[in-house]
Amino acid sequence: GAAMLRSLGSLLCLWALRLPPGPGAAARGPDVASYRERVRAMFYHAYEHYLESAFPYDELRPLTCDGQDTWGSFSLTLIDALDTLLILGNVSEFQRVVNVLQEGVDFDIDVNASVFETNIRVVGGLLSAHLLSRKAGVEVEVGWPCSGPLLRMAEEAARKLLPAFQTPTGMPYGTVNLLHGVNPGETPVTCTAGIGTFIVEFATLSHLTGDPVFEDVARRALKALWKNRSDIGLVGNHIDVITAKWVAQDAGIGAGVDSYFEYLVKGAILLQDKELMSMFLEYNKAIKNYTKFDDWYLWVQMYKGTVSMPVFQSLEAYWPGLQSLIGDVDNAMRTFLNYYTVWKQFGGLPEFYNIPQGYTVDKREGYPLRPELIESAMYLYRATRDPTLLELGRDAVESIEKISKVDCGFATIKDLRDHRLDNRMESFFLAETIKYLYLLFDPDNFIHNDGSDFDVVITPYGECVLNAGGYIFNTEAHPIDPAALHCCRKRKEEQWEVEDLMQEFYSLKKTKKFTFKTASDHGEGERPKDPEGATSEKAGEKRNSRKSSHSLLSCPSQSFNSKLAVLGQVFLDNT
Amino acid sequence: SRAKDVTMPAKLPVSFFSPRSPVIDLFRGQLDSADQLRQDSEIVLYFFYAPWCGQSIAAREEIERVASALSDRVLFVAVNCWWNQGKCRKQKHFFYFPVIHLYHQSFGPIEYKGPMSAVYIEKFVRRVMTPLLYISSRSKLLDFLSNYEPGVLGYFEFNASPQPPGYLTFFTSALHSLKKDYLGTIRFGVITDKRVAEEISLERSGSVYLHRHANTSLVYPKDMMNYTAENICRWALENREMLIRWLRPHGGKSLLLNNELKKGPALLIFIPYNPLAEIHPLLDEITKVALEYHKCNKSQAAEPDLQHLDTDSPASDSSVTDAHTKLAETFSIRKSPCCNTVVLPQWHSISRTHNVCELCVNQTLGVKPDKVLVPHCNFLEIEAALDSFYLQEHTFFQVISSTIECSNFLSFYSPFSYYTACCRTVNRHFLSFIGSEKTIFQTPKVAFSSHGKKDNSQFSIPHIEDRNCFIPDLNISNINITGLSCRTNKTLNLYLLDSNLFWIYAERLGASRSAHLKEFAAIVDMKEEVHYVLDQNQSLVGPTLENFIKNFSILYSPLKRHLVDDPSVDFQEQRVITEVTTNSFHETVFLSEKSVLLLYYAQWCGFCASLNHVFIQLARLLPPDNFTVARIDVTRNDLPWEFMADHLPTILFFPHQRKEQSVKFPEDFPVNLPNLLKFILHHSSLSSSEPCTKECRHKESVLQQGHISHLEREIQKLRSEISALHQAHDQLEAQLSEARREEQRLQQQKHTLEKQHKTLQLHSEQLQATYDQKNQELLEMAEKLQELADASENLLKENALLRILVASREGKLQSKDEIKEALQSEQTLSEVKDISPSTAPATSEESRIDNTDTRETEQSTANRTE
Repeated sequence: GAAMLRSLGSLLCLWALRLPPGPGAAARGPDVASYRERVRAMFYHAYEHYLESAFPYDELRPLTCDGQDTWGSFSLTLIDALDTLLILGNVSEFQRVVNVLQEGVDFDIDVNASVFETNIRVVGGLLSAHLLSRKAGVEVEVGWPCSGPLLRMAEEAARKLLPAFQTPTGMPYGTVNLLHGVNPGETPVTCTAGIGTFIVEFATLSHLTGDPVFEDVARRALKALWKNRSDIGLVGNHIDVITAKWVAQDAGIGAGVDSYFEYLVKGAILLQDKELMSMFLEYNKAIKNYTKFDDWYLWVQMYKGTVSMPVFQSLEAYWPGLQSLIGDVDNAMRTFLNYYTVWKQFGGLPEFYNIPQGYTVDKREGYPLRPELIESAMYLYRATRDPTLLELGRDAVESIEKISKVDCGFATIKDLRDHRLDNRMESFFLAETIKYLYLLFDPDNFIHNDGSDFDVVITPYGECVLNAGGYIFNTEAHPIDPAALHCCRKRKEEQWEVEDLMQEFYSLKKTKKFTFKTASDHGEGERPKDPEGATSEKAGEKRNSRKSSHSLLSCPSQSFNSKLAVLGQVFLDNT
Repeated sequence: SRAKDVTMPAKLPVSFFSPRSPVIDLFRGQLDSADQLRQDSEIVLYFFYAPWCGQSIAAREEIERVASALSDRVLFVAVNCWWNQGKCRKQKHFFYFPVIHLYHQSFGPIEYKGPMSAVYIEKFVRRVMTPLLYISSRSKLLDFLSNYEPGVLGYFEFNASPQPPGYLTFFTSALHSLKKDYLGTIRFGVITDKRVAEEISLERSGSVYLHRHANTSLVYPKDMMNYTAENICRWALENREMLIRWLRPHGGKSLLLNNELKKGPALLIFIPYNPLAEIHPLLDEITKVALEYHKCNKSQAAEPDLQHLDTDSPASDSSVTDAHTKLAETFSIRKSPCCNTVVLPQWHSISRTHNVCELCVNQTLGVKPDKVLVPHCNFLEIEAALDSFYLQEHTFFQVISSTIECSNFLSFYSPFSYYTACCRTVNRHFLSFIGSEKTIFQTPKVAFSSHGKKDNSQFSIPHIEDRNCFIPDLNISNINITGLSCRTNKTLNLYLLDSNLFWIYAERLGASRSAHLKEFAAIVDMKEEVHYVLDQNQSLVGPTLENFIKNFSILYSPLKRHLVDDPSVDFQEQRVITEVTTNSFHETVFLSEKSVLLLYYAQWCGFCASLNHVFIQLARLLPPDNFTVARIDVTRNDLPWEFMADHLPTILFFPHQRKEQSVKFPEDFPVNLPNLLKFILHHSSLSSSEPCTKECRHKESVLQQGHISHLEREIQKLRSEISALHQAHDQLEAQLSEARREEQRLQQQKHTLEKQHKTLQLHSEQLQATYDQKNQELLEMAEKLQELADASENLLKENALLRILVASREGKLQSKDEIKEALQSEQTLSEVKDISPSTAPATSEESRIDNTDTRETEQSTANRTE
C-alpha cells in the first residue's frame, strides 16, 4: 500500500508541469453580459423543444426529437426547470407552468420510482417553486408559505416515499412503487447518498406543514449512517438497509456518496444544527487524512484507508463549492483549479478520470452535461470574484454550444474523446447546469441577495421576513429560503417572549429578570435527545469543548494572502 | 426501444479562422501539410487549437492581430488538434489548448507560454526572429547594459571567416534561452567591433560575457564548462542577477506569488506595459531606483553603465552615503523603541496646525518610565496605539496650542497602558514624499468625543518624553537609497506587474478603481500580514518610490498598514441594517449616539447568509432612536487589528456611552431573536440606581413615547395578523361550505345511485326469469327433438326390416326366375317396393339439419338473455 502511494505521489507531482499558458486576453475577463444572454438563449432552445416534442414525458430525446419517461412519469423536466424560469426572470411562463402542473401531475400511478431522485427532483422542485411562487407573482392563498397547492403536491409526493423508510435500520430502500409501496423482493442495497440526501427537503416539508414525520425519518437515516461509519471515520458506497452491512466499501466524495456530505453541511446551515455540522467535520477530517492527495480526492478502502481507485469523478466537482460555503476557500480553489485542467483537456468532465494516467477511464468517458464544476465556480465566484471562474463559465458555454447543441435541444456527450452524442437530455441540464451558469454570469440576481432586500409577509401565524437571501440549493439546484422554515414553525410562545423582552426595552428600570445565562440553559434543553443519537451528541460535545474558541456553525475569516489568491495563484500553509 | 441506442458522431470540423485571415487554418488537423509548410518559411508559428475551447477562441483574435503585423516575415499555421480523424490529434497529446509552437528554421519547437495577448506574442515572435541584438557602437552597448534585465554578450570577430568559430553555438544558445525562459528575460547581444568589446574588457573573439549590476560581471568559463548552447544558457540562467523581476502569473494553478512573497517583504509595482514600445521612461526610472537600492559595493559605481544612468545625478552623491548611513543609525539608536512617528495627511483637521506627531507607548499608567529603561514594546502595541491615536485624534484639536504639544491618552483596549503624542509642524516639502498613510477615517468632527472619560484633567499627567520628542524622521530624506538593501534588515524584493494584465491584484491591495492611470505600488509583508500602499494621490515616479522604500526600511516606519475598503457600498441607500465599511466604521460604531449591534459577516459564508432574516427582524423591532443594527463584510473591508474577528458570523455589541467596552455574543448560543434581545438587554446601559431627576423624567417620557409607538406598530401588526386570520377563516369557511355542498351532492348522488341499483336489480331479476323461461323452452325443444330422433330411428329400423324383406323377396324372386316370364304381372309390384326404402333416409337427414339450426338459434337467444 505504502509503495503504491509513493509512486502515486510522484505521478501526482507531474501535474505541476501540465499547466496551461497565460491569462492574456482573459485578464480582462469574459464579457459577462453577453455570456449571460447566451446562456438564456441556450435555456430556451432546450426548453421550447422539450415542450414542443417531449411534454408530458419526463425528458426530451434530442436526437430523435421525441420524449420518454425516465424517473417516473411526472413531466420531470418541466418540474425541474420551473424555478430556472424565475431565475431567468420569466414570470408569466412560471405562472403558466404552475397551473399546468397542478392539473396534470398525478402521483397515484403504478410506477417504480427512485426514492432519491423523486425526492431531489420532484419534492425539491415543487418545494422551491412553492416558496418562490409569491415572488413570481402567483396569487397565493392566505396561509402561504405554510400552505399552498404546490406544497400539497410536494407533500403528496413525499408521502409516497415514506414506505421506503420502514426498515429495521431506518435507512430507506432505493426504489418504491408509488401506488403499492415497497415491492416484495426489492433489493435492500442502497447507495449512501440514497440514504443521506433527504434532510433539506424533508425538514423543509416538516417545518412548513407542521408534520414532523418527514424530518424524523430523514434524521433517523442520517444517524444510522453515522453509526455505521468505519473505525477510521469513513463511509462506503452501498449498504444493505436491513442488515447494515456495507456492500461496496469504496470511500470517497463522489458517486454514491456525494450528496450525503453535501446535505450534512446544508442541513446544518438550514437548521442551524450543530450536530449535523460536527458529523460533517469528523468526516471532513477523515477525508483529508485518507483520500486527499495533492488537492485531488481519491477513492480508498473504507476500513483500511488504502487507495482503491486513483480517479477523479465528474460528480466530485461539487466539493469545492461545498468547502467555500463553510469558509475553506483556499482549499476549495486549489482543488477547483485541478478539476478545471481536466475540463480544458476534453471540453467537459468525463465521468471518471484516471489521475496518474491523465486520461479517461474505459466505459466512463461520457459527459451528460453535468453541473457540478459550474456549481462550484458559482460559489467560489461569490467568495473570490476571481476572473478564472468566469473563464470556466465561458469555456462551459462554448463547449456545450459547440459540441452538444443539436436541432432539438442539447444532447448528452456519450464519449468525450470523440464528442459522439447520445439521445438524451437529462432534466438536470435545465434545472442545474443552465441555472448555475446563468447565476455565475448574473451577480445581481435575486438569488445572490445578501440580505439588502427582503419581503415582509403577514400570515395567520404572525409576521414573517422572507426572501432575505441565503438560499440553500438542494442537490438538484432547487433553492430553499431558510427564512421560510422559521416562518411557519414560529411558535406563539416565542412571539410572546419577544414581546416581553421588548417591554423591557421601553422601561427605564430594568427588572433584570432576563438574564442571559438562564436563556442559554433553556436553549440547550430545547432539543430532544433520543437514545440512538446519544453517541453522536457526545462526539459533538467533545468537539465543542476542544474547539471552544468558536462555534461549529461558523466560517474562519479569510487569511491575509487570500487577497492575492486570484488568477490561479495559490498559497501554502495558511496558518 | 431503438431510439435509446441512437447516437450521433461529432459534427465535422469547419474552419476556425476566416478565409481572409493571414493565418493558414488546417481545420482537419493535417499535421503532415503543416510540416510541409514549414519548409517555406524561416520562422513559423503553429497555433494548435480545439474548436470548442474558450481559450482558443479568445486567443484567435490575438493571433490574427500578430499575424497581420508579421505575416510578411513569419508563417502562421493554425492546426485543429482535436478532430479525432486528423493527424495532429493522433500524434500529439495536449493537456490544454491552445498551444503555440515556434520554429526558427530547424530549431524548435519553442513553446510560447506567456500571456495570450497580441503584444506579448508579437514581442516573443520578434525575439525568435532575431535572438541576438547587434551591438555596433559604444552607445548601443551602454543602452544594452543599462537595461534592468540580465544581458549576455558575445564577442565575435567576423573579419577572419564568414562565420567565426562558436558563433553558431552562441546563436543557438540565445534561441535555447527562449525555450527555458519564456518571458525572455535574458537578452543576448553580439559585438563584432574590437573597440566596443574592449569597453567590457573582452579581448578574445568567442568570449561570452554576462553583465551584472550589483555583483561583478562574469565571463563564460570555457575551460571549465563545455562550450555548448545548453551550457551557455544554463550558466546565464544560474548566474543572472534579478534586481527587479516581472511577475506574470500564467493563469493556471501556480505558487509563483507564494514562493516570491515568502522570501520576504516585497514591493509590487504595477505599471501599464507595452512590450513592443521602444522606450519605457517609467520603467527606466524604476530601474534606476532598483539599481541604486541594490548598489552595495562602492566599486561598482565606476562601471560604465551606472555612469551612464547617473548622468543626471551629482557625482558627489555616493561620497556622502557613509555620512547618511551613520546619521540614520544614530537616529535609530536614539529613538525609543516604543515610539512611532505619524504624519498627518494634509486634509486633516489637526494638520491645519500640526502635521507630524510622535507617538510613544507607555506600559504602566502613572509610572514615569526612565528614559534608559524604556520597556520593550511589541509591534502590535504600536499598531494598536496608532489606531487608537487615529480614533482619538480629534481630541488633540482641543489641546493643541503651541508649536510642540504633547498629550497622554489611555489606550482603548489595554487598561494598563497609555500613550503620549507630541505634535508639531514641519514645513511642507518634507511631507511631499510621505503620503502612504492615507487615513482610513474621514475627517472627524470637531465635537468632543464621548468615548473618553469626561474628566479631562486626568490626562494632564506630565508628559514623559517632553523635550525628547524631537522628530528624527525630519532627516529621513537624508537617508540615501543607494545600497539601502544591504544596510537594512528589512530588505525588499522588487517586482513589476503589467497593470494591463494583472490590475486585479492592485485592486485587491486597495488601488482605487476610479483611477485612470493604472499605476500603483504596494509593499506586501506576508509574514506580518500587512501591506502598505504608496499614496495614490502622488504620481508613481522615482523619488516617491525611493521615499516609499526608505520609509519602509527605517526602524520605526511611519508607514501605516493599509486597510482595504469596499467602494461598492452605497451609503445613500437607506437600509434596515446599516452597512459598515472600513471608512465608515469609526463613525457608525463609535461616534454614533446609539448602541450598536455589529455583525461581522461574509457573503459566501453559509452560516451568515442564513441568519439574514433574524437580523432584519431584530432591526425592525429595536427602537431605532437608541439602537443601530449594523454589519460589515470583512472580506471586502479590513479593520484595525483589535477589531478583527477570526470567525464569521461574529456579533459584537457596543453599548451607548461605553463603546470601548464592546461585548461579544457568546458563540455557543443559538442565534435567534429572543437570545439576541436578551443579549442586548443584558449589556445595555443601566441607569436604574440614579435618583430620578428632571432629566430622567424627560428620558422616561421619551422612552414611553418610544414604547407607545412600538406598541402602535405591534397593534398594527396584530391587526394585519387578525385580518390575515379573518381571511384564512373566510377561506376555511368557504372551503367548509364547499365541502358541505360537496357532501350533500354526494349524498344525493348516493341516493340516485341506490335507486339505479334497485332498478338494475329488478331488471336483472326479470332477465333471470326470462332466462329460466327460455331455458325451459329449450328443454322442451330438446325433448321434442329427442322424440323426433326416436321416430326417425324407428323409421330407420322399419327401413332395415323392409330391406331384409326386400332381400328375402329378391331371393325368392331369383329362385322363381324360371317362373318369371310366366309371372310378368308380379314383377311390376316388386319395382314399386324398391323405390320406397330410398326415400326414407333422405327425410331423416333433413330433420338432422333442422336440428342443428334450432340449436344455433337457441344459442343466440341465450346470448341475448345473458
